Amino acid sequence: MSAVDLARLQFALTTSFHFLFVLLTLGLVTLLVIMQTRFTITGAPVHERMTRFWGRIYVINYALGIVTGIVMEFQFGLNWSGLATYAGDVFGAPLAMETLIAFFLESTFLGLWIFGWGRLNRWVHLSLLYLTALTAYASAFWIMAANGFLQHPVGYRVEGNVLRLDDFSALLSNPTFTSALMHVVFASITVGGVFMTGVSAYHFIKRTPEVDFFRRSLRMGVITTALATPSLIGAGFAQFPIIAKFQPDKTEAAPWIGAPLGFMIIIGMTLTMVSWLTLPLLIKDAVIRMRFPLYLMVIGIPLPFCAAIFGWVFREVGRQPWLIYGLLRTEDAVSHVEPQQILLSLIVFTSLFVLLACVDWALIARAVRRGPDVAPAPVSPLVVTL
Amino acid sequence: METLWLVVLGVLTVGYFALAGFDYGTGLLLPFRRRAETLHRMTPFFLGNEVWLVAAIGVLFAAFPRLEGELLSGAHSVFTLVLAGLVLFMAAVQLRLWWWLVFTGALMVSVGWGLLLAHLLEAPWPVAFAMPVLFAVHGWVFQTKNWKLFPVTGLLCALPIPLAFSSIYTSGLMAHTDTLGLLAWVAVPIIPLVVLLQWSIVAISSR
Repeated sequence: MSAVDLARLQFALTTSFHFLFVLLTLGLVTLLVIMQTRFTITGAPVHERMTRFWGRIYVINYALGIVTGIVMEFQFGLNWSGLATYAGDVFGAPLAMETLIAFFLESTFLGLWIFGWGRLNRWVHLSLLYLTALTAYASAFWIMAANGFLQHPVGYRVEGNVLRLDDFSALLSNPTFTSALMHVVFASITVGGVFMTGVSAYHFIKRTPEVDFFRRSLRMGVITTALATPSLIGAGFAQFPIIAKFQPDKTEAAPWIGAPLGFMIIIGMTLTMVSWLTLPLLIKDAVIRMRFPLYLMVIGIPLPFCAAIFGWVFREVGRQPWLIYGLLRTEDAVSHVEPQQILLSLIVFTSLFVLLACVDWALIARAVRRGPDVAPAPVSPLVVTL
Repeated sequence: METLWLVVLGVLTVGYFALAGFDYGTGLLLPFRRRAETLHRMTPFFLGNEVWLVAAIGVLFAAFPRLEGELLSGAHSVFTLVLAGLVLFMAAVQLRLWWWLVFTGALMVSVGWGLLLAHLLEAPWPVAFAMPVLFAVHGWVFQTKNWKLFPVTGLLCALPIPLAFSSIYTSGLMAHTDTLGLLAWVAVPIIPLVVLLQWSIVAISSR
């Protein structure tokens, strides 16, 4: 394999792993906002326990997701130095906004939220979670703005052999950005809903004594999925006219490109249908007493994750052979490094990321199995305090 | 404007390396100290430094686009080592199964930064061991609460790599002032805010 192929494979793997963490983070923080708001207003212990239990899972996932994000960020410079050299002035602006406004602040607000449990006024504590969620969404906003630029470059002027930033607001009203942002946001909320449903179903399969706790969680998960999926699908289909206008060759970029797109659509439709069919079954807990849907809910947890990866594969492979559509070819952007060096880092990072995904799985599974009431046993150092 | 961005990048890198001694230093000391207690003291600082690193690389990309790619791809294997160490360290600290994995991660990160220092200074490779030694000393000062020495070892950790960076001639490698001006509105207020918030985390957690 050439350096370009290796670098592309590495980017695909790193981004996919990273995005799995991102989806769950964004989805869970949205649901946490609802739970903690209810707790802060009503003071009911069940809402506090829900915030803690789901918050613990959220923090585990966040802390491990950071690691994949760091590798992601370095990768631009390591393997794709041509991108920064040529378009750093323009593409770098939203990327730097993301690290500074979004990630830098998000982690810090989250840190205060974690260590502020029971030590801060509860309204102050709630506002920290709001700020964490807001900056998490800001992160998605800036990253999608940067990606939108790669799909359909706007707001630049060519000066010599580099791009210069001409109109920043054009980057933010880029049609390939705005429609995809909504799609990603609703995909994350769907992931949160499906995950919460599945975990609660698992506890009912295990005949949990925490009936009220997981009954509420399951309902919240199902309702969230049912509300998010129609918008998810709407935002998805809304992208087709934009693709037809700006990237007419997208569906011919690779012979197999239709497959991931098709799978994604099927999963989206299935989740929409199933969640709406489940809604009436929430009455008198029919769905829990029937038992067999609980197994489907657990099996369904990976589905929205897979759909999201399929969606990204379509979006990114469909942009080829361009890195910046119509301006910079992928093969011209790759760093001048030996293919062996890229191969080495590919092997190292891929094996570490597989390990990381397993660690994430193991830690979340441990937290899930222990249920809402835990002795302060260390699941992870940050979680001790929760 | 160019000077401002050199200062911003300097502050972010110094911030990362000044905080790095807490957790990598602690990791390096694990074979010699009571492990549970030692790790517990590090908790409020865990991940606190990595956010500075992410911000620094973000600024490097946007404000120094012609430098970022060359610098990173020019030391491809060194950064692979640093990143592999980071991944291992952060996963191992969370997992808390085997302390030697935490130690190995910390050693890889700090030797990696040492190798970058040697690379930047064009110095022989044994210079690389300066960083693990400095991190370990700072970690020891932090763990033994030797607050008099603390600022000294903190500075010693923070300075070598940013100083080595300053040997790079950045003229012509920076972004256009249009980009720099736009980002300045963001970077300048954010950094003091993060310092204040991170300080609050430490203050709250020690209450």
